[in-house]
Amino acid sequence: MSAAIDFNAMDDETFRAEARSFFESEYPAELRFMAGRLSWAESKPWWMKLSKKGWLAPNWPVEHGGMGLDPGKLIIYWEETERAGIGRMPDQGVTMVGPTLIRFGNDAQRAKYLPKILAGENVWCQGYSEPNAGSDLASLRTEAVLDGDEYVINGSKIWTSMAHHATNIYVLVRTDKSVKQQRGISFLLVDMKTPGITFRTIRNIAGHEEFCQVFFDNVRTHKDNLVGKLNEGWTIAKGLLTFERLNIGSPRRPLQAFEQLDTLAHARKLFDDAGFVDRYTQLKMDLNDLGSLYQRYVEKVRRGEALGPDISMLKVFAMDTYQKLAELLLESGAEYGAFAEGVKLEGEAVDLMTPFYTSRPGTIYGGSNEIQRNILSKYVLQLPAA
Amino acid sequence: MTQHDSTEHREMLSNSVTDFARGVDLARVRKLRESRTECDRAVWKQMADLGWLGVLAPEQYGGMGLKLADMAIVAQGLARALVPEPLTAVAVLATRVLADSTNESLKAKLLEALISGDLLPATAWQEEAGTLDVHKINMQATPFEGGFRVNGSKRFVVGASHADGYIVSANSAAGMQLLWIPQDAAGAATQFDALADGRLSGTLNLSNVSVAKENIINSGAAAAGSLARAIDHTAVVASAELCGIMGRSLEITLEYLKTRVQFGKPIGSFQALQHRAVDLYIQQELSGAVLADCLAVLDNEPDDKTRSAAASRAKARCTDAALLITRQSIQMHGAIGFTEDCDVGLYVKRAMTLAAWLGNGNAHRRRYAKTEILEGAN
Repeated sequence: MSAAIDFNAMDDETFRAEARSFFESEYPAELRFMAGRLSWAESKPWWMKLSKKGWLAPNWPVEHGGMGLDPGKLIIYWEETERAGIGRMPDQGVTMVGPTLIRFGNDAQRAKYLPKILAGENVWCQGYSEPNAGSDLASLRTEAVLDGDEYVINGSKIWTSMAHHATNIYVLVRTDKSVKQQRGISFLLVDMKTPGITFRTIRNIAGHEEFCQVFFDNVRTHKDNLVGKLNEGWTIAKGLLTFERLNIGSPRRPLQAFEQLDTLAHARKLFDDAGFVDRYTQLKMDLNDLGSLYQRYVEKVRRGEALGPDISMLKVFAMDTYQKLAELLLESGAEYGAFAEGVKLEGEAVDLMTPFYTSRPGTIYGGSNEIQRNILSKYVLQLPAA
Repeated sequence: MTQHDSTEHREMLSNSVTDFARGVDLARVRKLRESRTECDRAVWKQMADLGWLGVLAPEQYGGMGLKLADMAIVAQGLARALVPEPLTAVAVLATRVLADSTNESLKAKLLEALISGDLLPATAWQEEAGTLDVHKINMQATPFEGGFRVNGSKRFVVGASHADGYIVSANSAAGMQLLWIPQDAAGAATQFDALADGRLSGTLNLSNVSVAKENIINSGAAAAGSLARAIDHTAVVASAELCGIMGRSLEITLEYLKTRVQFGKPIGSFQALQHRAVDLYIQQELSGAVLADCLAVLDNEPDDKTRSAAASRAKARCTDAALLITRQSIQMHGAIGFTEDCDVGLYVKRAMTLAAWLGNGNAHRRRYAKTEILEGAN
């Protein structure tokens, strides 16, 4: 463990160089720039390698086994992760559960769960959405009723990414039906092996099995697994979202699609086509402008300022741009734009379909772009409620 | 200059612009179409006294020697109030060209008078529409008595209606010449076309106009380089003006959405309009972020290619955003938005005028594509 190193005291370039060389030399080449998420089996060796080096939880404080990076360093860590094409692991334990327990949990919960995340013993998934509570998350109906020392959960969660690889799930449950929706929600931790939990995988449009529907039939979890106070789950769930939106709004993923577009354009000599050049130029400039907007928020974070609801605009513009790039990539492929797998053109490998599939859910998850616009309308422009 | 000084300057400029803008009466702007007085010399003098004409000019001539980012604050603030005086054309375009002059006595004379507001120079460089290439000119300068005799025609000259003289680019056997020609020079004639916002686009015809050696501002590659740089700098400050235009137009529109009641509710409660307003807001914020980045790039004095790419990024984004926001401002106002009395119309028209000046979105995307994408492609 290298917990004694104060990364925040390093200058940015030294830290960046160290992250880059570590990721480049240690991350398995065959798992770079994968089309979908990594399974737990694929992830585990890298997870353990990161854990051993003390680099698994860059966002957690040092006393809990994290790197304790300040926001500026954390952004560098992300940038280098994306630059190296590191796949998305079943990382909910690190990204969501850890920060939630550190901020809202109690000592017993932290002692019980955090080390197991670091050790790769617990793999977490997120139980937020329900079949009838998607964008309108606060209307969720999965219910928990206290019976003795245990909560009894009934209901169903959906779009639960990687639930089939998870050992634990954190769920938002209704614990009070008599109050305003947002005030009757609690945050519970549940072991996936608890009797009464079943799940089915849902194949996505790309043919990957990444998300699931999870069913709760009289599932019992001890009341010690309530995080924060009863009926305060909504606040907890919302608390961690703004920082996540900065990550989603990074121009890195659209840039990867742009690199594919560039390769394709050279291979098919598309720079002779004025129609293509027009659209390519517009998107390249959009991408640069996204960089300017992203950088503005990065600087804000570096100065230690809190991110407000206006961060939603970054997600809207980033994901719209990403999709436009992916769409131009398909169109510019002409007949190849319908090929399900990557193609070889003039000796260059180009994957036309993957950016289409990876960009598509970007305007839906984490609050759809329409929900982001509602947020901007209400909290930033302060337009009147309907 | 230290960071502290620069923040102080910026605050001072910003405050003086805000105060000034508060006193602007839009009635004058509304009447421009008839009055054709795009420049009020009393107002101009006031702007000079506030130091705005000398923001970029070197201190040794009475200027403030500040950065483009400082100039942008002034331009953006005045644009919000639709001030029609040709500040950017004079305090950026003409000022940059004059400051690069190697003719020390002419430079001192012109710059000092420019900064004090006593002399309003118009820069006449362009001859054909749709180009930013300073070499695409036919104006001829032939040697004559140690100086030149000049023949040709310039178009799209900003600030020409009240100009005291012109900075003219011309071809000669010795390369480009940048020449100073007083307004009353024999053989110089102007005519004007009204622009959408009531300002005037000047055409300058020069017929056998003699220019003495003392009035040569700059020559050869240095002249062309200086003009190209000045145009890029001006395009970015014009982008700041576009940000001022879109900002105020959106403000007026949001206010209207909150107060106009239809179907028993403020129309701003309707999601179709909320989402549209949000999209406009995103474009505004994007423009601001891009503008700030590009100002920083230009203030760093990079190589020509980097400079032009940054200028094109700013002008393309800010132009498109300003046109979108101001046009949508009409739509969100409904019929009242299409009336002469409604202020948003004034913003639409200024946006169109600024959009067309020094390259619109399309022109800048093409230029960007040429140097940043197509060179060496395929």
